[in-house]
Amino acid sequence: MSEILTTPLTSSRRSARPEARQARAGAILVSPAVILLIVILILPVAVAFVLSFSDYTLGRDRLTWVGFENYADIFTRSSYRKMIVATVLYVVITVPVSVGLGLGAALLIRSLKIGQSLYKTVYFLPVMASLLAMAIVWEFALHPTLGIVNRTLALGCGSPLELWPWYARSCADGFPLWLGDRDYALWTLAFIGIWQSFGFNMVLYLAGLTAVPRDLYGAAEMDGVRSGWERFRLITWPMLGPTTVFVLTITTIRSFQVFDTIEALTHGGPAKSTYVMIYAIYEKGIAQNLVGLGAAITMLFLGFVMLISVAQRRFVERKVHYQ
Amino acid sequence: MATVQLHEIEKSFAGTDVLKGVSLDIADGEFLSLVGPSGCGKSTLLRILAGLETQSSGTVSIGGRLVDGLRAADRDLAMVFQSYALYPHLTVAENIAVPLTMRRLSGAQRLPGIGSFLPGSRALRREIATTVREAAEMLDIAHLLDRKPGQLSGGQRQRVAVGRALVREPAAFLLDEPLSNLDAKMRVHMRAEIAQLNRRLGATFVYVTHDQAEAMTMSDRIAVMMEGELLQVGTPDALYDHPADIRVAQFIGSPAINILPVETDEAGVIRLYGAQTGFRAGSARIEHLGVRPEALMPCDDGELLSGRVRLIENLGSDLFVQLDVPGMLRPVTLRLPPSARGRVRPGDLMHLRVDSDRIVGFDAGGKAAPLLRAEVPAHV
Repeated sequence: MSEILTTPLTSSRRSARPEARQARAGAILVSPAVILLIVILILPVAVAFVLSFSDYTLGRDRLTWVGFENYADIFTRSSYRKMIVATVLYVVITVPVSVGLGLGAALLIRSLKIGQSLYKTVYFLPVMASLLAMAIVWEFALHPTLGIVNRTLALGCGSPLELWPWYARSCADGFPLWLGDRDYALWTLAFIGIWQSFGFNMVLYLAGLTAVPRDLYGAAEMDGVRSGWERFRLITWPMLGPTTVFVLTITTIRSFQVFDTIEALTHGGPAKSTYVMIYAIYEKGIAQNLVGLGAAITMLFLGFVMLISVAQRRFVERKVHYQ
Repeated sequence: MATVQLHEIEKSFAGTDVLKGVSLDIADGEFLSLVGPSGCGKSTLLRILAGLETQSSGTVSIGGRLVDGLRAADRDLAMVFQSYALYPHLTVAENIAVPLTMRRLSGAQRLPGIGSFLPGSRALRREIATTVREAAEMLDIAHLLDRKPGQLSGGQRQRVAVGRALVREPAAFLLDEPLSNLDAKMRVHMRAEIAQLNRRLGATFVYVTHDQAEAMTMSDRIAVMMEGELLQVGTPDALYDHPADIRVAQFIGSPAINILPVETDEAGVIRLYGAQTGFRAGSARIEHLGVRPEALMPCDDGELLSGRVRLIENLGSDLFVQLDVPGMLRPVTLRLPPSARGRVRPGDLMHLRVDSDRIVGFDAGGKAAPLLRAEVPAHV
């Protein structure tokens, strides 16, 4: 009996300070989340980082440390230089165009009196569709001889469109192979990427636009703002600042991650012109079982993405939140 | 500086009539308040006057000129919004400067960067900066010019909004519930400042509010709106003492006017619960009498009304006593001087008499109707 009475007393004396008790309870409560975070997120990255200094391949029980050799490969071999060029080029083309189109579509849709939801649905369809399935459609459409794109373009031959030198040349020598031509393949993939992603940006911008107070437009009108362009410059664009930063970050990261169209349509070719990073990681690390090299490219990829996120937080976010 | 005329303004949204033929003449330099409960159409009327909405029918003229086809930017008006509607990414100085840069600088001169190198742009910008500073000094916000609106308190934002309105010296100022987001003390303070501003600038002010106290304290004239109609336009005194409509009587004044249900017999004698009131109906049958709380006075015995004290509200300067009068649904309120403090207790029986000069009669339609003094003095 006396034991029962004294046990709680001593234990409560041990943790007499409520702050300490609360801190311990807090630590216990967050520990599952922290453990999961480490096991699922941080540990794999750490493992990849370690492996990137080795020549590990799956199934072999030996592992040799190669130092920075994998990284040296990435920065010296021409195929990896092409990888970085293709990835950066893809991002540089896709991001501004899909963000710009998303904003333009959102502004146009907002100005409509009827049919808003129709346009929203239509522009959002490519976002909802599986890009892999859509890639097959694009493959048919872009087929050099049978595809609807080139056959439609051929219809214009003999018309004033031939005043455009590129068109005249194409009529004479045949229209581009699109996905099969080193000069066109990346641009074509970027086009598909834009087609697929701008609807998403449009939805984000539409949400951003609803948050702009209507009174500001009234105030601008009273202050003598007459043109739509001035209204955009004075109110819409600054007020959409946080949305734009978010849209830019998301679109950039997603563009860095482009994989499905490459896998379905070009496999990194022709002549490595569409050999983007994620595809290289997949090819080296999984298809060719060069895990060490794949891990090194992964680290580089993470570096890029990290850079973008840090840039967003550091430089831009502070300038677009006015409160 | 200008007169403002609204003529037969009607407005309907999706089949609902929000404004039902409102006509109003506002004199040059006048401070006119549009007052009414939420949803009565007063803000819509102000937005139509501003040019931010288009009326279904009727005309608006400013300074004798019809402005119906003109957009808001061309009407030479300034507006202070309830939300202040400051541009959050611009500093206070830039906010106040917007109406000037938009009107004085050309499109090219406004461009960021190259705009400031264009001929004349520097001088104009300097001139604008001086005007902005003068306006800010007048409103006591010169020390805030470099801050962003997000760093200001409600009262300071309000001043910035006023500054942005007055910097351009417009023909008239439109104010849409500008004080409703301020705390009570600040509201009373800004009330006086805005009224002073009207006198100092000599400009026409149209002030929309749902707070009758704001309207009463600031205005030259008040227009009471309800359900899309103007019920009465007049000076604060006229509205308070001679309301033309029972709804105006109930809306103006705090605590509210006492409405006593009465009957008019064949001879025109007005009776309250069978007792003679000392009044006869003039032309129309009187159904209600309106008595302000300060027009009721306690007396020794047997006058018009008597009831038991339900509640005493002590405001320091005044004492408001609510009486339960048998037969009446609502308590009757009367005002007592502070000297009566401690002499009245809940549950006490009180007899009241009425200052007969300050009683208003209303007919069945709620319109004010003339009262005649009866020969017989009021007695129960």
